[in-house]
Amino acid sequence: MRDTQLLKLESVTRSVLLPDDSELHILNGINLSVSEGDHIAIVGRSGTGKSTLLNILGLLDRPTTGHLAWRGLDATKLSARRAAHIRGRDLGFVFQQFNLLPGRTALENVMAPLMYATGADFWRRRTLATEALEKVGLGARLDSMPQTLSGGEQQRVAIARALVRRPKVVLADEPTGALDVATGRAVMELLDAATVESGAALITITHDINVAAMAREQFQLDEGILKPLTLEVAP
Amino acid sequence: MNTIARLFTGFIASLLEAWQELRIHKLRVLLSLVGVTIAVASLTTAVAGASVAQQLMTEQLERNGRPALISTYAYNQRSDGIPAADSAVTEAFKKTTERFDIEYASVVSRASGYRMLHQGTSIDPELLVVDPEYASIHRLFAQYGRWLEAEDAQNLAPAVVVDRTVAQKLDLDQNSLPASIDIEVGGKMVSATVIGATSTRDGGLDGQVWMLPQTYDHWYAADAPLMDATYEMWVPIEGSEELAAHFSAQMRAELPGYQVDTMRSDYLTWGGDESLNMLALVAGGIAGIILLLGSLSLLNVAMVTMKQRIREVGIRRSFGATTGRVFFSVMMESVVATAVAGGIGVLISVAVVTNPKIINMFLGSGIDQMPAFPVGAALAGILISIGVGALTGVLPALVASRVKIVDAIRV
Repeated sequence: MRDTQLLKLESVTRSVLLPDDSELHILNGINLSVSEGDHIAIVGRSGTGKSTLLNILGLLDRPTTGHLAWRGLDATKLSARRAAHIRGRDLGFVFQQFNLLPGRTALENVMAPLMYATGADFWRRRTLATEALEKVGLGARLDSMPQTLSGGEQQRVAIARALVRRPKVVLADEPTGALDVATGRAVMELLDAATVESGAALITITHDINVAAMAREQFQLDEGILKPLTLEVAP
Repeated sequence: MNTIARLFTGFIASLLEAWQELRIHKLRVLLSLVGVTIAVASLTTAVAGASVAQQLMTEQLERNGRPALISTYAYNQRSDGIPAADSAVTEAFKKTTERFDIEYASVVSRASGYRMLHQGTSIDPELLVVDPEYASIHRLFAQYGRWLEAEDAQNLAPAVVVDRTVAQKLDLDQNSLPASIDIEVGGKMVSATVIGATSTRDGGLDGQVWMLPQTYDHWYAADAPLMDATYEMWVPIEGSEELAAHFSAQMRAELPGYQVDTMRSDYLTWGGDESLNMLALVAGGIAGIILLLGSLSLLNVAMVTMKQRIREVGIRRSFGATTGRVFFSVMMESVVATAVAGGIGVLISVAVVTNPKIINMFLGSGIDQMPAFPVGAALAGILISIGVGALTGVLPALVASRVKIVDAIRV
């Protein structure tokens, strides 16, 4: 018996209607189960539907057919409002291009998700954001603007922002895509350690085999079909 | 309780986000709000300015007597029909005012055949013989020195109060009061004391001078008796018409053989003046057009800016921002911005409208009592600016709330 199940996808498909009225099938019959503490990597070439799958996992998008469950709830029937609340409370996102809010300091960026929290998390947002930045080694750069930070530092701000509300699942979309190899590895190690410490599940979408190898489970997405993958990468 | 707490933190957070956004884009916000600030300042100034102009006009009208002013004329039917200035009428008037418990009452007589001299200057102002209550009835304030008091009748020299025109012509300033001047009546020169000076009144070219009846009787009546007299009373407006009728009847009873006429004679009996309302309407209309143009400019900037902020909206949605929250936050940005702009506009308006120099420059006349800035005008300014913010914020907020998260993040 595994730990508490967080996300479960059964026979999920996603297709879009093209301008010529033909249908483009992006995902085909995806089955995936994510539990607390999992570290899953999904690899695949560009255009194979990795980001679409991540959007569905992050409740940003809905499957065309199939079943998506969030902690046993049918997530395909969740209202937009409820999905937003789950996203804010239980899901954290790390993007390839960092997606830091322009014009805000590192601290303000990390405080941003707490603006959608209630109770103590909202009122203690400065303290919580400061602690999150200190955990990723940026305690001395609280008031730095994103453009004054290096790529690795910006991604660490993004990680702190993703973790500040103590999510149950962290979804990372090509988190090392905009970084050099060494920095990318350091960022992944940080992300891995942070999620292990918090007990959150980590789902990493990447086309980098070395990044995927750091996960405990690997899947390959090829032409919309998800298959388990076994990697043997030199340390 | 949980829902209330969530709504409360959501509201506070939206305000904070709005303020943060304005802080970050202060130059853009500042430029886009210039029109709103000017429009709100104009609107508020138009409303408040109309109030000040109304005050000035009221002051000017009340110089002829504050409402309700009741005037009584008593004609000796055996005379030539000129309102009599004799002691019998004065006595009857005093008796009747006491009977009706009227606090503000005064005789008003115009003297003639005299000159005022001081340091070689000779002038011929209008001399009014009045009781001390005349000042209250006619909104007279001593700008320096003081107004006449009943005890001044006992002074060893006649006490007079002059207006600013007389003071200037005789070269009397604040420091020179009380000042001794000469009043020549029928070739007889009597030294008098100027005890106070008021603002310029509506007298002749040489201004106006006031003196107590007892003073005039003692010093000048023998050489230049007063030929006519009007008796004035300032009473509450309500019931004034009935009071006038009863007063007249009583005066007639006191003065057998006299024709007594008593009537309301303040400006309210002439009918209202619509010119000020018209002026306020025109000024408000112009300000409204400025506001409309400012709002359109604000809306334009907000729409363009929103298109550049689609990615940011997507990021916020990934944090858990609901559609409603995105809508409210974006609208609050507009509301907070225009509220600040409106506040600045109102402050500008207050600075303009409460500055006597500016007011006197525009109105071309002195104002005795600067009215307080009308709170209604300030509130209207703030509310209008908030309304403009809400209206111009709706469209960008709709655009922001309809953003597809998946597309927005990829922008």
